[in-house]
Amino acid sequence: MRLELGEIHISDIKLGDCSKVENGTLYVNVEELRALLLEDEDLASVNFEVVHPGESVRIIPVKDVIEPRVKVEGPGGVFPGMISKVTTVGSGKTHVLKGCAVVTTGKVVGFQEGIIDMTGPGAEYTPFSKLNNLVMICEPKEGIKQHQHEHAIRMAGLKAATYLGELARNLTPDETKVYETDGVMSGKEKYPNLPRVGYVLMLQSQGLLHDTYVYGVDMKRSMPTIINPTETMDGAILSGNCVSACDKNTTYHHLNNPVIHDLLEQHGKTLNFVGVIITNENVYLADKERSSDWSTKLAKFLELDGALVSQEGFGNPDTDLIMNCKKLEAAGIKTVIITDEYAGQDGASQSLADADPSADAVVTGGNANMVIHLPKMDKVIGHIEAADIIAGGHDGSLNADGSIDAELQVITGATNEMGFNKLSAR
Amino acid sequence: MSLRVVHYINQFFAQIGGEEKADYAPEYREGAVGPGLALNAAFKGEAEIVGTVICGDSYFNENLDVAKKTVLDMISAAKPDVVICGPAFNAGRYGVACGTVAAAVKDELKLPVVTGMYEENPGADMFKTKVYIVATKNSAAGMRDAAPKMASLALKLAKGEKIGASAEEGYMPNGLRVNFFEAERGSTRAVKMLLNKLAGKPYTTEFPMPSFDRVAPGAAITDLAHTTIALVTSGGIVPKGNPDHIESSSASKFGRYNISEFEDLTAADHETAHGGYDPVYANEDPDRVLPVDVLRKMEKEGKIGGIYPYFFTTVGNGTAVASAKKFGEAIGKELRDAGIKAAILTST
Amino acid sequence: MLLVTNNEKVRAAYESRCPLQFVDGGHVEVLKTVRDLVHKGHKLLTHPLAGSVKPNETPFRSVALTEETGMVDMDSLELIEGALGMLEQFKPRFQRGEDAPPKMREDFAEIDYRLIDGAIAPQIKQGE
Repeated sequence: MRLELGEIHISDIKLGDCSKVENGTLYVNVEELRALLLEDEDLASVNFEVVHPGESVRIIPVKDVIEPRVKVEGPGGVFPGMISKVTTVGSGKTHVLKGCAVVTTGKVVGFQEGIIDMTGPGAEYTPFSKLNNLVMICEPKEGIKQHQHEHAIRMAGLKAATYLGELARNLTPDETKVYETDGVMSGKEKYPNLPRVGYVLMLQSQGLLHDTYVYGVDMKRSMPTIINPTETMDGAILSGNCVSACDKNTTYHHLNNPVIHDLLEQHGKTLNFVGVIITNENVYLADKERSSDWSTKLAKFLELDGALVSQEGFGNPDTDLIMNCKKLEAAGIKTVIITDEYAGQDGASQSLADADPSADAVVTGGNANMVIHLPKMDKVIGHIEAADIIAGGHDGSLNADGSIDAELQVITGATNEMGFNKLSAR
Repeated sequence: MSLRVVHYINQFFAQIGGEEKADYAPEYREGAVGPGLALNAAFKGEAEIVGTVICGDSYFNENLDVAKKTVLDMISAAKPDVVICGPAFNAGRYGVACGTVAAAVKDELKLPVVTGMYEENPGADMFKTKVYIVATKNSAAGMRDAAPKMASLALKLAKGEKIGASAEEGYMPNGLRVNFFEAERGSTRAVKMLLNKLAGKPYTTEFPMPSFDRVAPGAAITDLAHTTIALVTSGGIVPKGNPDHIESSSASKFGRYNISEFEDLTAADHETAHGGYDPVYANEDPDRVLPVDVLRKMEKEGKIGGIYPYFFTTVGNGTAVASAKKFGEAIGKELRDAGIKAAILTST
Repeated sequence: MLLVTNNEKVRAAYESRCPLQFVDGGHVEVLKTVRDLVHKGHKLLTHPLAGSVKPNETPFRSVALTEETGMVDMDSLELIEGALGMLEQFKPRFQRGEDAPPKMREDFAEIDYRLIDGAIAPQIKQGE
C-alpha cells in the first residue's frame, strides 16, 4: 500500500464568516459549523474558542483531540465506519492540516480528567500545547444519559475535524510525505535479510468512556486482527476513551501513531515492517487470554522476528500487556514493550500491576504519580468545576490563587504509552 | 565563597602504600590528596576540598566502630558543606568502607554525600539505596569520567538543588523512580531497543522488572519416618501474650519458641499476632495455622521422625520482602546447622 | 456465574439473571469478599481492576466469578491479591458510595455497571 500525506502547515486559526485556509491561517465560519453540529439532537449548544501556543489558557476537561484530514485520492474517506463509509482506507492521497487540532471538552461524568495548559510547566508535558487548537465546548440536552453524551461529543469532534479537513481538499501541500508498505510475500522477497518486525497495538476496550473504534466497530467485540500501517493515518482507529487522561490514546495519537511512523522510517533500511496487529484490553479474563493468544498467533503467521507492543491505560491493561509480552517471547519473537508507571508520588512503589521476567526490554513514558504545580492561567476554557474535582481528590489540590497541585496523570497525553513523548523515568 | 568539601580516601589512593599498609589508622590532612586534585579541577572554583580523611581498608573493616567514629569526627571537625567518598572503582573493601562512611555521614552528620564505585563492587549492592553512588569504571583509569559526575552531583546536593533521574546524573538506580526528558521520543527509543535486541547487542531496559526470587524445590524426602520436621509460619502464631511483641503488620522480626512440651496448641497457651486476617479461628485453635496436633499424632504413629523443638514465626502482613528474606536466611541457617532436612511452611 | 457487587444499579439489573452476592460496603470490602470466594475455589471471570477509572477513585466494584468451585485457582488468587495491593498503594478516595457527591456517585455507579455489563451480558446471553 502507498499513501501520500500532503501537509498544509497551519500557523493560526481565526473565527470569521467564511471557512477557508489562506496563507497558513485556518478561518472558521462558526455559525456554519455550529449549525452542522447541532443537527445532533442530543446537543443543546456548542461554543468555540481558539487557543494558541504560549497563551495563558487552561482547557479542562479534554475529551478528545483530533487532527483535520481529508482524503483527496484513493478509496474511502476519513474516519471510515464512523463518518465515511466503511471502505478500506490507507492508500492514495490524504491532505492534513498540520499544526492545528480540534479539541473537544465536555463533562460526561463527574470525575473526568484531562488538562491542556498552553503555557507554563504543564505545557511541557502535553504535545497539544504546541498546536493551534479550535476548542469546542459541547453541552448536552437535559436528561440524556452518559453514554449518549459521550457519543454526542465524540461525533461532534469527528464532524468538526472532517469539516475543517475538507477545506484542505484543493490546496497544494507545503510538504508531501510518502508511506509505502509491502505485502507479506513481496516484503520477504524485497528484504530477505532484514528482521521481520510487527507492531502489536493494544486498544482500550472496556466499556463506556473506555472504548476504541476500528472502522466503526467497538474493539471489545472484535478478535485481534491485522491492519496496514497506513490505514491508521486515515482515521481507521479512533478514540471513545475519556478517562485516564495521561495515558489514553486520543484520535490525534492514532492518526499520528509514533510507533508506526518510526517503524516506517526504518522499513527497508534496518528492518522489514510487516504489519500492525491490533488487539483489545477487555474486562473478561477469558477475553484477555484469547486476545493475547491470538495476537501471538497472528505474529507467528506473519513469521515475525521481533515485535513492539504499546499499551493504553493502566491497571488491568498491565495484565494484557504482560500476557502479550510473555506469549510473544515464548513464541521466540523478540519483544519490546512501551508502558508508563504508577510508582507513587515518591517513586518508591511498584510501577506496574503485573510483571514478568520475559519483559526485559521496556520503554517507559514516566511516572504518572509525579506531582506537578500548575500555576493559575488567565483563562480557563471548558468546565472549571472539573478542576475542583480533579484537584479535590488526593491526587491534587486546587489552591486559593487558582493554581493546582496535581499528579501528572491529570494532563492529557503526559505519559502516552505509544511513546509519543520524550518523558521517561529511571 | 566556594563550598567546603571533605574527601574520604584509602591508603592506596593517598599513595601511602598497598596491601602492606592496609592497616593504616585514620589520618586527617589539610587540602586535597591524590584523586582529590581531579575533583577540585571538576569543581571549577565552585567548591574546594578543604581536607582529606585517609584510612586503611583493613583498619576500617576490622575496627569498624572505632574507625567509623574517628573518621566521622574528623569529617565533622572540618565543617564541610558536602562530603565525597572514593571513588572506590572495583576495590571491594574500599567500596564497603566508602558506602559505610557515606551512609554514616548522611544519617549521623546529616550532611549531603556522594560516593562512587564500579557496579559490581560489593559496596554498590549494600549501599545504592541508601546514598548516591556514581557508577564508575572498574579501575582507576575511570577517574577522568567519574570526577565530573561526582563533582556535579556533590555541587547540586550542597546547593540543595533538585536531583534528576539516575540516568541523567550518573548515579546507580536507587529504587526511586524519577521522571526526566529523554533526547528522543519513546517510540524511537523502543525501535532502537528492538533492533539491538534482534541483533543480540546489549540494550538497557528503562524499567527493570521486579526481581523474581525463584527457589528450586529440594529433593523429595524418601524416609519420612526418620525425618525430623520443623515448623515455620508467617501466620503470626506466638505464645500467649506475644512475649517478643512481633508487629501485627510489617514485622521487623521473627520469633523462635519451644514447642517440645506441647501436644496440642490451645487458646490458653498460644494466639496469633497477625493483623491481616480475622484472628477468631486462629485464636480459637492455633493448630489451624501451626499444625502441631496432627504432627504429634503422626510422630506417635511413626509416620514422621519427630518435630524440631523450636518453631519459627513471623507476620507476613505487609512485611518487606527484604526483611522476609533476612528472616528466611537466619531460620534456614539454624535448621541447616541442626541437620534438619524438612520443614513445613504455613501462611494464612 | 456468580456476581459480587456493592453497586445497586448492578444488583437491580442482574439479580434476576444470575446468582448475586451484594456487599454492603466499599470497594475494598467487595475485593475482600471476592478474595474469600477465590479461596473457596471460585475462579475469577472478570478482572478485579476493570477500567482505567483509578481504583482509588471509584467506590463501586463488580466482579464476576464462576458459580462452581474447584481447586483454588492460583491465577485468580494472584490477580485478586494484586488488586487489593493496588488499593493499599492508592488509598481509596471514597470509602463507600455514599461518601461521594451525589452526581459523581451516580456516574461511578453507571461506569461500574457499564464495565461489568459489557463483559458479562454476552456470556449470560449464551446461557452461562
